Amino acid sequence: MKVTFTVNGRPTEADDVWEGESLLYVLRERVGLPGSKNACEQGECGSCTVYLDGDPVCSCLVAAGQVQDREVGTVEGLAQGDTLDPVQQAFVDAGAVQCGFCTPGLLVQTHDLLNRAHHPSDAEIREALSGNLCRCTGYEKIMDAVRLAAARKADARDAAPTGLEG
Amino acid sequence: MAALTKPKNLQDVAAPGRDGVGASPLRPDGILKVKGDFAYSSDLWHEDMLWGMALRSPHARARILSVDVSAALAQPGVYAVLTHEDIPGSKFYGLEIRDQPVLAIDEVRFHGEPIVIVAADHPETARRAIAKIVVEYDVLPSIGPVEALDPERYGYVHAPADYKAHAFGNIVHSQHIHHGDGDSAEVRALADVIVRGEYEVGMQDQAFLGPESGLAVPAEDGGIDLYIATQWLHVDRQQMCPVLGLPPEKVRLTLAGVGGAFGGREDISMQVHACLLAQHTGKPVKIVYNREESFFGHVHRHPATMVFEHGATRDGRLVFVKAEIVLDGGAYASTSPAVVGNAASLGIGPYVIPHAAVDATAVYTNNPPCGAMRGFGAVQMCFGYETQMDRLAAELGLDPVELRRMNAMEQGSVLPTGQVVDAPAPVAELLRRVKEMPLPEVENWRTADGPDVRELPGGLSNTTHGEGVVRGIGYAVGIKNVGFSEGFDDYSTARVRLEVIGGAPVALVHTAMAEVGQGGITVHAQIVRTELGVDQVTMAPADTRVGSAGSTSASRQTYMTGGAVKQAAEAVRAVVLARGRDRYGWAPAFAAGLRLAGGKALTAAGEVVADLVDLLGDEPVDETTEFRHRPTEAFDKVTGQGFGHVQYTFCAHRAVVDVDVELGLVKVIELAAAQDVGKAINPLAVVGQIHGGSTQGLGLAVMEEIIVRDGKVRNPSFTDYLIPTILDTPPMPVDVLELADAHAPYGLRGAGEAPTLSSTPAIVAAIRAATGLPLNRVPVRPEHLTGT
Amino acid sequence: MRSFTYTRPAEPAQPWTELGPDAMYIAGGTNLVDLMKCGVAAPGRLVDIGRLPLADIEVDAATDTLRIGALVPNSDLAAHPVVRERLPVLSRALLAGASPQLRNLATLGGNLMQRTRCGYFRDLAMPCNKRVPDSGCAALDGEHRGHAVLGTSSRCIATHPSDLAVALLALEARVSIDGPNGPRAEPIEAFHLPPGETPERETTLTHGELITAVEVPMTTLGAHSYYLKVRERASFAFAMCSAAVALEVREGTVRAARIALGGVATTPWRAYAAEAALIGGPPSTGAFARAGDAATEGAVPGRDNGHKVELIRRVVARALSTLAATDTPATDTPATDTPATGTPKSPGTGEAPRTGEAPGSTEGEHR
Repeated sequence: MKVTFTVNGRPTEADDVWEGESLLYVLRERVGLPGSKNACEQGECGSCTVYLDGDPVCSCLVAAGQVQDREVGTVEGLAQGDTLDPVQQAFVDAGAVQCGFCTPGLLVQTHDLLNRAHHPSDAEIREALSGNLCRCTGYEKIMDAVRLAAARKADARDAAPTGLEG
Repeated sequence: MAALTKPKNLQDVAAPGRDGVGASPLRPDGILKVKGDFAYSSDLWHEDMLWGMALRSPHARARILSVDVSAALAQPGVYAVLTHEDIPGSKFYGLEIRDQPVLAIDEVRFHGEPIVIVAADHPETARRAIAKIVVEYDVLPSIGPVEALDPERYGYVHAPADYKAHAFGNIVHSQHIHHGDGDSAEVRALADVIVRGEYEVGMQDQAFLGPESGLAVPAEDGGIDLYIATQWLHVDRQQMCPVLGLPPEKVRLTLAGVGGAFGGREDISMQVHACLLAQHTGKPVKIVYNREESFFGHVHRHPATMVFEHGATRDGRLVFVKAEIVLDGGAYASTSPAVVGNAASLGIGPYVIPHAAVDATAVYTNNPPCGAMRGFGAVQMCFGYETQMDRLAAELGLDPVELRRMNAMEQGSVLPTGQVVDAPAPVAELLRRVKEMPLPEVENWRTADGPDVRELPGGLSNTTHGEGVVRGIGYAVGIKNVGFSEGFDDYSTARVRLEVIGGAPVALVHTAMAEVGQGGITVHAQIVRTELGVDQVTMAPADTRVGSAGSTSASRQTYMTGGAVKQAAEAVRAVVLARGRDRYGWAPAFAAGLRLAGGKALTAAGEVVADLVDLLGDEPVDETTEFRHRPTEAFDKVTGQGFGHVQYTFCAHRAVVDVDVELGLVKVIELAAAQDVGKAINPLAVVGQIHGGSTQGLGLAVMEEIIVRDGKVRNPSFTDYLIPTILDTPPMPVDVLELADAHAPYGLRGAGEAPTLSSTPAIVAAIRAATGLPLNRVPVRPEHLTGT
Repeated sequence: MRSFTYTRPAEPAQPWTELGPDAMYIAGGTNLVDLMKCGVAAPGRLVDIGRLPLADIEVDAATDTLRIGALVPNSDLAAHPVVRERLPVLSRALLAGASPQLRNLATLGGNLMQRTRCGYFRDLAMPCNKRVPDSGCAALDGEHRGHAVLGTSSRCIATHPSDLAVALLALEARVSIDGPNGPRAEPIEAFHLPPGETPERETTLTHGELITAVEVPMTTLGAHSYYLKVRERASFAFAMCSAAVALEVREGTVRAARIALGGVATTPWRAYAAEAALIGGPPSTGAFARAGDAATEGAVPGRDNGHKVELIRRVVARALSTLAATDTPATDTPATDTPATGTPKSPGTGEAPRTGEAPGSTEGEHR
């Protein structure tokens, strides 16, 4: 079947998709976006987290046909050209990336958190990221990264001349 | 999509920053990783590529009576279906003993053993083809660790007359250590108190997130190019060549992005399978395991049973330790012999004990094969000996930390193997530091608005608002070796090239080191900056075009490949300075006193004598070197004596837990560590390693176990094999000591594994303090705490 | 995975007309897609009902009932202000399950329909009466530490995994169903079927029927309710044992009680004997302990899951005592005037909305 949807703002078409493929498979193998990862493919690790119509979901559990006419956002869509999103930059700067396999899913989930909560407490950060497994870092520097990104985004908002939310 | 002949990120990557050894510049691959552009082995793509997959045994032990692949071959989209009969060369591989079939021959020895491999045009086609293969089995009762010790009655996991293990029944390897007078009657009589305990450690899994995967591309010269996630390119190749019937120069491995390893990629998984299918079909073949297959496709940590006896005088001096450990090695040897050596030689802990008798044994069973996992035999023993130290302290009425400090090893102490510790061993200091760290607030869950359940055991599951919650504190310290041991020729190779590009000096570093996330590539850039005074450093992809870097394991890479990079950089510097002597007529003594910094050659006082760009001119300097540590020797077969390990590393933990003693729920409130890293080449990365290792220890303490029943794995998924989430991990303050080891580059000490040792027993000790329960087994489960 | 056709009909007033004999509905897919990947579910056709107009949450003022459309995602339901205020057990049960990503995708209907996590059910190589009738039950003699002690039969001891269904059971929700034979409704208690002789039949739905909504009466009892879940890590794990409880206490006497159990039975389990033990007595520690005992009546422990019996006892007692300690007692004034102020909160977090809440919401944290 053919599946037509929007990815990172761009209309995208995937041909010859087998119905049993997941959205994750389609992104990785058919539309050239392997940034979302396949650590478990059972919805148990969060490495495949993408935005689906504005909400983060596990793309490994979305059947390909279900994405028809919908909007998908992946890690590849967070940066603006070569300018990293503050969340991405914070993960790099805080040492929150070791092997990095969990990182794309965490970035999408963190991006969503900081859009909804501008000053999350540590407990709120942990709750929001509770569906993303990491095996390398023990999550400490991930916490540092989220706090850093929140602070930087707050600074950017404070500096914005019109006071519009960033 | 454009055809890629090699993955996108397999190009030279510039390392950002200007910082050398001791600073924390950002990792070179960080930006690629956060953009989602970093090509892991599972992200590889090649035009025309096929998908490979294996049929795996549903039985733990069975004879194979017949294999009928005809229906699979007939399936449209299937390009190859291979059994052991299609293997061109040797049918066996193995890291220490070549006992593991590439594809099962006439029997299967573990649940999940691969039998047939298939290449097809879509992973689903491959899955369906595999489902059509008909294998007739004669299922046999599986041999467990108890049965393994009575092979006459229960059978042999491996038929006699193949290789060395048969001389010893089902025993893969054993090591005895006799120190002082062992546990003789006279020695026992010297002890006022003897404490005996029996302990068990369940089977832990590395659970690296990046699945086993790689891409094999057949080459025009009849060879194979393999892009692979692994821990040691050269030893993979060494095992692959005899199987593929190809010489090493025709089997070229390049490291693709690795999603974690922790020992689980030391053994070959799909490397040979992908190459066999690529050879056979003439097409590129990619294999990616899903999570379930991953649980079957790599070795696990050896489950162990241990018996310890500790004897001490009334005032707390240790007199003797007798320790026995049986490690369940599973169906194939993997690295069990080395794990045995580690367990034996490190098995009484970082203590001075005049007499010791240690016996470590690994047995073959029909359980899943076990091998390397971060901590490598020392983890299991640390749980045993640290629990014993607490028991002894209780028996003697002494403070558990004081008992440890009283008996702590230090520089100059003698290990039970007779080796003298010839570098700082700040065991007592590490314990003092974790003990003196400020404690977290008691009942931090109390707030003006009522209890914050997120700070309580059970968290958002609302299990308690404070009732039944008891706090406990526990301590532990451990000793781990660094490097490959027992006489192994442990070396690493590095190539450093220095040249002028665009008017500036640029260095290129090329090693075969497997970067698995630990940050080795960052460290290499730092070393080159420090040694050559060059800002711009580029990292070449790791591949077999340069000599072996050894394994990314045994906490050895910063020491060994870092050491090799340092050595190569020093060789480059020597050449550069020799040019200065030729050109400017420097006296040898003068040249010897020069250093390179900021793109210049300087005297010790900082006077600039030349520009690096001028010294280099049009002629790059390119040096490749092999770096070795001091040789080690095998442990004596009878006494276990010998200079077996090149370096020791120590870590201490303090764990603070809150336990809901009625429901059996544990919340780790804080897990503090103190570790001596000799020299923190990159402090940010070192702390990250300590955090990660501590968390794996937390997982072993309270939630991680592969459940094996009658040889069958019952929980091959992240639903049922639980690893810590961000809600399970606590704040982890880390105190890093830097007491140089004069034998090591920059005085550094390997850091990655020591935190996995002491974290587990510290947490369990804290739970014991809260509950008063003995808790002789890890992982601790809620029903162990409620006595139900 | 078996090949199948996929269709998402645009305006199916009656989606069963699209179905056919070998077809299944798919909504969020978080359970069904997983089961299809492991081969346990193998429909020849999927009909995606995701666009049906079943995603509303409405209050029927006349009956004081909350009507929740079957397609409402778990995260939206958990965050809904009326649910948080008047049916706290529902919100807590949802937030105690799965992960934020799964809760964004999973629906109410799908949650009620989810299959067991029994490893033998999910392993095609093992005998399982639920998956293949009359093939046997490998769990009885095998690995069953997490399996059921209540509602079991000689054919099946698989645990029902849902948290949400347990809360709905305690609230005496009604399930609205539609299908080829016309609309019907039934109490949720009747909806899930214990295995008995036919473990392959898990709900009363016949082929073509689908859940359209769940209706939850909003009573005083429901406003004083609580959910507690014991699991092996702090998040993202199924229950070893859970309890949804509700108490109506007036003048120091328990007038009404609801106790439903999860993680320990083959269906969401109502502990009637435990409820009866409480009625007319004081909300005391002793009474709660007796209720805990009564909740274990009829439990049949296996060789390796006997710890669940004691766990039931303790979980019920703890859930009741926590509810009684943190809740404000019921009065004769309507529940909306007495929000559960004593329930634990996080310390003031300003404008941080909870995970899953719609963007732009500025409601403070409510725990």
